[in-house]
Amino acid sequence: MHRNVDIKVAVLLGLIGASVFSVPLLTADRYMLRVLTFVGVNVIIVAGMALLFGYAGQVSLGHAAFYGIGAYASAHVVTVFGWPWVAGVAIAIVLTAAGGLLLALPSLRLRGHYLAMATLAFGEIMRVAFVEGKGVTGGPDGLSGIPFPSFLGIEVDSAGGNYWLVWSAAAAVLLIASNLVRSRAGRAMLALHGSEAGAMSCGMDLTGLKVRVFVISAAFAGLAGSLYAHVVGFISPSTFSLHVSVLLVAMAVLGGTRSLAGPVLAAVILTMIPFADAVIPGLSRSAVETIQEWQEDVYGLTIIAVMLFVPGGIAGALRRIAAKGSVR
Amino acid sequence: MAASRTRLALVVTVAVAMVIVSLSGCAAESEPVDDSVDVTEPYRIGAVLSLTGTFAGLGEPEKKTIDMEVERINDAGGVHGRPIEVLIEDDATDAETAVAVTTRLLERGDIVAIIGATGTGGTMAMRQEIVRAGIPQVSVAGGTVITADFHPLVFQTPWSNSLVVPFTLRYLEEQGFYKIGLISDTGGFGKDGVEVIKEAIEGTDFELVAEESFNPGDTDMTAQLTLIRAADADVVVLWSAGREAATVAKNMAQLDFGIPLVGSHGNARIEFIEGAGEAAEDFVFAAGKILVPEAYGEDSEEYAVATDFIERYTERYGEAPDTFAGHAYDSLYIIVEAMQRLPEGFSPEDLRDEIEKTTGFVGIGGTFNYSETDHNGLTEDDLVMYRVSGGRWVLEER
Repeated sequence: MHRNVDIKVAVLLGLIGASVFSVPLLTADRYMLRVLTFVGVNVIIVAGMALLFGYAGQVSLGHAAFYGIGAYASAHVVTVFGWPWVAGVAIAIVLTAAGGLLLALPSLRLRGHYLAMATLAFGEIMRVAFVEGKGVTGGPDGLSGIPFPSFLGIEVDSAGGNYWLVWSAAAAVLLIASNLVRSRAGRAMLALHGSEAGAMSCGMDLTGLKVRVFVISAAFAGLAGSLYAHVVGFISPSTFSLHVSVLLVAMAVLGGTRSLAGPVLAAVILTMIPFADAVIPGLSRSAVETIQEWQEDVYGLTIIAVMLFVPGGIAGALRRIAAKGSVR
Repeated sequence: MAASRTRLALVVTVAVAMVIVSLSGCAAESEPVDDSVDVTEPYRIGAVLSLTGTFAGLGEPEKKTIDMEVERINDAGGVHGRPIEVLIEDDATDAETAVAVTTRLLERGDIVAIIGATGTGGTMAMRQEIVRAGIPQVSVAGGTVITADFHPLVFQTPWSNSLVVPFTLRYLEEQGFYKIGLISDTGGFGKDGVEVIKEAIEGTDFELVAEESFNPGDTDMTAQLTLIRAADADVVVLWSAGREAATVAKNMAQLDFGIPLVGSHGNARIEFIEGAGEAAEDFVFAAGKILVPEAYGEDSEEYAVATDFIERYTERYGEAPDTFAGHAYDSLYIIVEAMQRLPEGFSPEDLRDEIEKTTGFVGIGGTFNYSETDHNGLTEDDLVMYRVSGGRWVLEER
């Protein structure tokens, strides 16, 4: 039985991988590839948010800051110091992981909304730092002229190439995350989510666990930031504002707990909202404008509605459907 | 088992989402792009404006202006007998969206030039797409960085801080105000202004006795202003394009300051006068001549162009155009007149070269003279000092 499922999973994995990666072969529409590339970037961050929120039960309102640190670090060393792109990505990951560690050590002793407050403050501090640190960040004017990703002497400058690059990174991140949640650490996270006191009474090192999850999610955001910077070629503080942090939380909440699939699907849906006309042919321009006007409200209402009516989010709904199916 | 199901569910959802997306994309692609009922295909210009988000108040008059002027150009026969069409996209005052909608515009393959974006951030973010497509861009955003970080394809129409700051300093010098108490916002416009001011006063008789700032959204600047007063300034210079400028004026009135307040073109909006009320009286700032077209001299071409535009805009929309409407007017006509000077069948490259050759174009923001090294095109001659008097703008006596 178990073996059967594994084979099915392997086949499905192959099919999905193939279909995701065949998109640039099926279409040459650069607008759509662009939008889907942004979706991929958000999927990478949300994978980390899913671990942090959905498994470990911690709320971070500061992940846009890590996203920004990754983007600025990578853009700065590549554009100003002339380092190769791969080094930029590595710096982005190392710096955000270190930043995550520094923030996590003192603040993860806090719980619930106190942690949310601490991360909110961190996000705000970093936003000011992005604006004021003109020497490194370019200040409010931002950094422009960031080169495309390139390795082994090949510059990835096509929309399809960028799409493949970002989704390869997303696939790697999802693989790491899915392995993690099936490991001992994953079970420990679920225990933490269920009852912090209960988990502690079983002798778990909760602080250590929370710090590790936080560092991993920060590093994912850093990787996403680096990819974003090189794909778009321009970054400025407004891309890494509180608004983005809230959007990320909305994705995690809508996605639901104890799941990676839910948050990933939520990331796809919420990222696509302002670009609805990329996937719904014939949607009028004014309809899209109306959607954009109400975008923030949609995110906020989504969080409230999910909390009130479907606490399990998309993941919970998927689980209910699966359970019904298996009852027969 | 449960874990396998997690992974299974994950894989399924991603796959389904991607397949739906790619299929619908294909469907969209196979549909013929055909909205031309008329025999002659229009020339298409793209515009990326902020119709929603923080800059919606700027994007709205820009869109209104473009809609109105495109009709006028087409009624007059268009370009080479072909109509023009401006495809307006909303960037929601968001850099990422600006990039995506620019991609969409350029993806069409028939766009000859791009107007926008409304904000400096959006304008800069679009650059990679613009450069890749080799299409000329005329921005309606005012950031100095847009043309200072020079690219042959990128032009702009608003007055930049590097023009307005020296002009304003000359006024202060005339008035004998040498000790400046500076207050600015921490947004892009304020920070840019502070930097240009500091550079400009280096090695002059001017002295920066206080430098204070506030964040967009702040509702009280009393603390900063008290520090400026303690520094014994001759004049308070305010550099901010936000609605907080009105609060600065009001706080100064409450504190009974007794020294003048001088602002910038960022305050050339009726919202400032409405917001500050009585406190706006005697507020002095530099801006283009559109606010009081008489500044041009009543028999000049500039006066005729400006009053004609103001009349038509006011008649159609029931309100007078602001400076942002003017920037959109200038961007559109700089592109269209360059197209008209070129023979039919020009390439985007030809159009870029021709836009760069724009000289003596009389627009709303001033008279534009682009060159190989100057893609802003305006000079200090296009500016004038205003004073708020009786709730309206009057020319400052010099």
